[in-house]
Amino acid sequence: MTGPVDELRAAPGGARELPERWAPEERDTLPGVGWAWQAITGALVLVLLTLHMIANHFVVQGGLRDYQQVIAYITNPIILPLETLFLVVVSWHGLLGLRAVVFDFGLSARAERIVTRVFVVVWLATIAYGVTLLAILVTRP
Amino acid sequence: MTDRTAPTGRTALPDATAPSRARRRGVAGWVDVRGRRLGGWAFILNRVTGLGVLFYLYLHLLVLSQLAIGPGAWDSLLKNWFLNPVFLVLDVVLLAGLLIHGLNGIRVSLVGFGLVVSRQKALLGAFGTIGAIVLLIGTLMFISHGG
Repeated sequence: MTGPVDELRAAPGGARELPERWAPEERDTLPGVGWAWQAITGALVLVLLTLHMIANHFVVQGGLRDYQQVIAYITNPIILPLETLFLVVVSWHGLLGLRAVVFDFGLSARAERIVTRVFVVVWLATIAYGVTLLAILVTRP
Repeated sequence: MTDRTAPTGRTALPDATAPSRARRRGVAGWVDVRGRRLGGWAFILNRVTGLGVLFYLYLHLLVLSQLAIGPGAWDSLLKNWFLNPVFLVLDVVLLAGLLIHGLNGIRVSLVGFGLVVSRQKALLGAFGTIGAIVLLIGTLMFISHGG
């Protein structure tokens, strides 16, 4: 039985040289562009999450922001777009990962298409929820 | 916006889209320990921590809705729940999950892009050390906040 890595090695044009000690299952469930997206969004999440954790938990007295501190934080013109971007990227990364897990159940092609659409809807709903919450807080007198 | 790797829109090499052994075995493949190497264990750990962190993300978003209610709702939540020692333990568990998922994600990305492939064990050791140090520092900070 050959795995995708063996198949890539044997593909016309040779693909690129692949490492011998590869753990193929680590990327098989998100082949091609999807895997690269997951790696790119993962790197972005890492940067934005680090900023989020430091700003909200590690430099704040008591480790958590009270209501007034939260308002002061998110009304900062640099923080607001950064936190919005964080929401967009982290929910995309998480849902794309969950989609890969769901695909592990061995769905039909049609079911996989439906799952993909459902996840896009959930992703958009998550962003809508977060942006609405931010808008309420930022515009509150 | 949809992922082009979906079955209907694959653009990679044709052979790269074939179902893998892991996928053919389904989720049962996760717990099959036969012939599993270090990378396989890291794969399972990444999946489990990823699911846990995703669950936390949505829980976190739900809890943040208390901010929309007003200062009283949020501040009482802080005082009565989040500074409770049980929550501080959960914070440590969350930080551990984030570190495992994040550091292993960096390792997988580096190897996936063909970098540091011959030094995977050294990479694992380095990331394990970094993770342990950050977890220790984070835990001490959580304890100091709780005190």
